[in-house]
Amino acid sequence: MPGRIIKWIDQRFPLTSFIKHELTGYPTPRNLSYWWNFGFLAGFVLVLQVATGIFLAMHYKADVAVSFDSIQHIMRDVNYGWLLRYMHAVGASAFFFVIFVHMARTLYYGSFRAPRELLWWTGQALLLLLMATAFMGYLLPWGQMSFWGATVITNLFRATPFIGDQVVVWLRGDYMVGDATLTRFFALHYLFPFLIIGAVVIHLVALHTVKSSNPSGIDLAHKDNIPFHPYFTAKDFYGLGWFLIAYSVFVFFMPDSLIEPANNIPANPMQTPNHIVPEWYFLPFYAILRSVPSMVGGVVAMGLGVMMFAFMPLLDRSHIPGGAHNRPIYKIQIYLFLLDMLVLGFVGYVPPTGETLLIGQIATLCYFGSFFTHPFISRWEEQWLIRRGLSAELLALMEQHAQEEEQRRKQRHQHKWGRA
Amino acid sequence: MNTLLKMLALILFGTQACAAEVPLEKIDVAHEMPVVERGADALMTACHSCHSLKYVRYRDLLHFGMDRQKVDGWRGDQPLDAPLLAQMSENDAAQAFGKAPPDLSLMTKARDGGPSYVYSYLIGYYQTPEGMPGNHVYPETKMPDPLGIIGVTDAAQVKEIKGKAQDIVSFLAWAADPHEGERIRMGYYVIAYLAVLTILLYFTKQRVWARLD
Repeated sequence: MPGRIIKWIDQRFPLTSFIKHELTGYPTPRNLSYWWNFGFLAGFVLVLQVATGIFLAMHYKADVAVSFDSIQHIMRDVNYGWLLRYMHAVGASAFFFVIFVHMARTLYYGSFRAPRELLWWTGQALLLLLMATAFMGYLLPWGQMSFWGATVITNLFRATPFIGDQVVVWLRGDYMVGDATLTRFFALHYLFPFLIIGAVVIHLVALHTVKSSNPSGIDLAHKDNIPFHPYFTAKDFYGLGWFLIAYSVFVFFMPDSLIEPANNIPANPMQTPNHIVPEWYFLPFYAILRSVPSMVGGVVAMGLGVMMFAFMPLLDRSHIPGGAHNRPIYKIQIYLFLLDMLVLGFVGYVPPTGETLLIGQIATLCYFGSFFTHPFISRWEEQWLIRRGLSAELLALMEQHAQEEEQRRKQRHQHKWGRA
Repeated sequence: MNTLLKMLALILFGTQACAAEVPLEKIDVAHEMPVVERGADALMTACHSCHSLKYVRYRDLLHFGMDRQKVDGWRGDQPLDAPLLAQMSENDAAQAFGKAPPDLSLMTKARDGGPSYVYSYLIGYYQTPEGMPGNHVYPETKMPDPLGIIGVTDAAQVKEIKGKAQDIVSFLAWAADPHEGERIRMGYYVIAYLAVLTILLYFTKQRVWARLD
């Protein structure tokens, strides 16, 4: 009977072939390490956020007069409302944590390199959507930090040339962050996750076209690929177990560690908190913003700071295949960059003083410097590695890449001039 | 490398510069019902005339297991579902003190340092050289010394007042997070469940991958 149903469906919809193509027959490199679990985890957290968010929206009220109260209603009166809210709040941090690891892995193993540029760029778009969603969600509890965070960030749009003031009013729906801002942020905070789901589908289509990269950084021979299901479903679910344990420690034992104390005070437009800090996942970018003395410069630097990752496929000029695994200098660069991110995060967290400002400026220079010097360093590293001698395997692979490139060039040439 | 070391030194120096505020006296909050109930009693006498706890209802106190007679005494003729509003109206309080006293429902969560902050604040009163009351933790406070710690020199009495402050903070911590006990109890079960699940998933994964060899 089930066989007949599936047959009936298959005549009308490619169910079996879809499952075969994307799961049971989808070729995945056998040597993927646990660092490759984080894409799946990001998808899981997305579902978790949507599921808890929908139930929270049933009890939440987007109205400056009662928003703060409605959160307390959820925390105290709604059955397991505290669980929903803490899962959602911790989930936001978990989402960024997982995405940051996912990105760091991509950078470390050079997974962004040809032919995976579009995959990387759809990921960059996802990061922007995630940041926008998190930012708007943070306004909804209508605490002091919600209000002042939204005020500071929307105010940055004053840097828009010519129409800055109008843009800020247009974004807020009012001259200051108020009821109009809250209701539109709520509407968009509900909408954006569905845009994210759409972008994830595009990300996966791109992935399934170019297939996963792997720790060796080398495209593996056919025999080294294994089907995604059951091998990587099993591995992903085992990793999920560890993730859920860490997540639950936060949800059940230290949920308030990720919520700023000032956000337990209702928003008060008449009183600025002693020091306004964004959530931890925005701290490095906030530090870049504060490091540039002019506001317009700071906004441009911050925006560029987030977008720099997208340029990586263009900035990397090395022909050595793979990532840090084959490239010692690149490995050092990655570790220094991660250290620099931590320094920036710290600088973003502490109140600005002379010293922290200076550290922030140095770290900002290092941040952009590590991108802008990359074309030269990667090219120099390539020369150095070739002089030092590469393994036969890598040389053969580079030779093959060069030949392919030459062939493509010839084809283009023929196509253009051949018939003349 | 040298610049790195310099940056590290600056970071360490920087954190010291931030921690220049008054050190708080660290306390552990009690979760046992009798202590929390004692705290509620002390709060009703010392704080409740000016401060509200609008997110807490008298019925919540009963649910937590407090004595029915005590709760009835506190609420007077108000219904059980009434929130713990202050006896003084906000306007009157604003006139008397210059600004309305804040609601206490979330107080232990709303300050850096949490319960330790509130405790240190309550016992932080002292007499300034000009003979005016001052507070080490929150110098701009408008609240008069609620537990009467100023001028008390007798060690036993100081200890009693500090005990009372600790009880009040324990009650406030419960009021800020009434589901904490339930949450932590549930947390142990969830973690235990996930640990077993993860072990099973590990063996599943091993078994599936064994087919490859």
